[in-house]
Amino acid sequence: MNSSARRSLVAAGLLAPAALLFALLFVWPQFRLLGLSFGNPAPFGLASYERFLGDSYYLGVLANSLALGACVTVVCLVLGFPLAFLLARAETRWAGLLLLLTTFPLWVSAVVRSFAWMVLFYRGGTISRLLQGSGLVPPDFQLLGTFSGVVIALAQVLLPIMILTLYAVIRGIDRDLEHAAMSLGAAPVVALWLVTIRLARGGIMAGSLLVFSLSVSAFATPSMVGGARAHFMAVTIYEQTLELLDWPFAAAISAILLAISLAVALTYGRLLGEGREEAR
Amino acid sequence: MISLGHSFGWFLRLVAVIAFVYLLGPLFVIVAASLSDTGYLVFPPQGLSLRWYQAALADARYLNGFFVSVRLAVTVAAASLVIGTAAAVALTRFHFPGRAFVEAFFLSPLVLPGLVLAVALTLFFASTPLVPPGMTRLVVSHLIVGVPLVLRVMLPVLKRVDRSVEEAARNLGASPLKAFFLVTLPALKPGLFAAAALAFIFSFDEVEMALFVGSAREAPLTVVLYGAAQMAFDPTVAAVSALLILIALILMVAQQLYAQR
Repeated sequence: MNSSARRSLVAAGLLAPAALLFALLFVWPQFRLLGLSFGNPAPFGLASYERFLGDSYYLGVLANSLALGACVTVVCLVLGFPLAFLLARAETRWAGLLLLLTTFPLWVSAVVRSFAWMVLFYRGGTISRLLQGSGLVPPDFQLLGTFSGVVIALAQVLLPIMILTLYAVIRGIDRDLEHAAMSLGAAPVVALWLVTIRLARGGIMAGSLLVFSLSVSAFATPSMVGGARAHFMAVTIYEQTLELLDWPFAAAISAILLAISLAVALTYGRLLGEGREEAR
Repeated sequence: MISLGHSFGWFLRLVAVIAFVYLLGPLFVIVAASLSDTGYLVFPPQGLSLRWYQAALADARYLNGFFVSVRLAVTVAAASLVIGTAAAVALTRFHFPGRAFVEAFFLSPLVLPGLVLAVALTLFFASTPLVPPGMTRLVVSHLIVGVPLVLRVMLPVLKRVDRSVEEAARNLGASPLKAFFLVTLPALKPGLFAAAALAFIFSFDEVEMALFVGSAREAPLTVVLYGAAQMAFDPTVAAVSALLILIALILMVAQQLYAQR
C-alpha cells in the first residue's frame, strides 16, 4: 500500500467515530423529524404546517418568540457593549478577574439562573415588591408569568455570550485609532461612534444574531419564568410532545424553528466571512 | 483607562456596573435566600440556618440526580474528547476534498435549538431498539453537542501547534504515531483540558435533551430541579441551586489555576 493511500485510511479512521455518531444520531433523526412533519396526512401532506400557519394562536406564538428575540438582543447590546468596551480597554490587573466574573454565569445551569429570577419575580419576591411599593403597578402584581419578566431573565442568561463576542472584537480594534480621533478634536462620544462602533459592527451583528437565535429557540427560561401559559415556540413544542403527544404537529413546529435557526446561522457565517475579508 | 471625557466616561461606567450587578445579582440572591431560617423563600434572608441544605442532602431525588449528572457529564466529557480530538486531528493534519464542509457540518449542532435536537432524538429512540433507555440515551444525545464543543476548542489549538517540532521528531526517526504521542499531545494538554471542561459543564448543566430522553429513574439534577421549581417555592430548591453555584465556582477556579500553570 502506498503512503498516500495509507494516509487517507488513517484520516478516514480518525473521522469514522464522529461520522458514525452524527449519521445515526444527528442526520437520520433530523430527516425523520422532517419526514413526520410533512407526513400528515400520510404519505405526504402539509396539514401540520397549514394548521400552524392558519391558526392565529400559533402565529401569535411565533410572533411572541421573534419579539422575545428582538427585546433580549436589544437589552444584551445596550448592557453588554459598555461592559465589554471597558473590560477590553481596561489596563488594571483587575480586568482579568472582572472578565472571569462576567463569564461565571455561563458555568451555572440556566435552570438555576431561571429559578433565581422566579424567586425575585413572584408576588412576594424582592423585585415585584419594589415595583408594588413604587405604586406603578397594582398591589398583587408579579413579574412572574409576564413577557417583561422573561425578557429580563433571558437577557441575563445570554448576556455573557454577547459580552464575550463583543470583547473579542473590541480587543482587535487598535485603540490608537480612538486616540487619534480624539486628538483631532472629536468628542469621546463621537470618537466611539465613528471609530469603535463602526469597526466593531461585524462583531455587533454576529453577537446580536447569536443572542437572537438562542432567544427565539430558548426553552428553560421562558418555560420557568413565563409560567404555565408561556406562549413561546420551544415551550409550545414541549406541550405538543410530552403533554399532548401530537408528534406530527410538534415536528412541524420544530421544523419551522429549525429553519429560523439555520437562516440566522447562515447569515452569521456570511457576516464572519465578510469580517475576515475586511480584515485582510 | 483612556480618558473618555468626564460625563461620558462615567455614563459608560455606570451602565457597566448595572450590567455587572444584573449578571451576578441573581446568583447572590439565591445563595443568600437558601440560608434563610424561614419555611419560604425570602430575600434578604431572615435568620441564618443550614437546615435547607440538610433537607436537600436528605432528599434521595437530589442526591440521586447529582450522581446521575456527574456520571453523565464525566462520560460525555471523556467520549467527546476522544471522538472530537480524533476528528480534529483528521481535519487539521490531512487534506481531503470537502474538508471545510465536513468541519461546518460537525460544528452545526451548536447553532441548532437543543429542544429540536431533543424532539428528533426522542422520535428516533422510539423507533429503534438500538439504544437502550436510561443513561445510554442521555450520553449519546449529549455527545451530539459535546463533540462539536471539543472540535471548536481543538481545531484552532491544533492549527496553532508548531508542526516543525512534529516533523523534527519524524526526521529523528519517530513513527507518526510516536511523534504525535510524544510531541504533539503534550503541547495539546491545556487545550484538551479546556475542551473536556467545556463538554463536562455543558452536559452537567443541560436540561432540554435530558428532559426528553432521560428516564424517571435516571433523571439528572437539572431535570429534578426543573420539576421541583415548578411545584413550589421550596427553599430546598434554593439550597440545591446554591450548591450547584458553588460547584461551578470550584470548577472555574480549578480551570483557571490549571490554565495559568
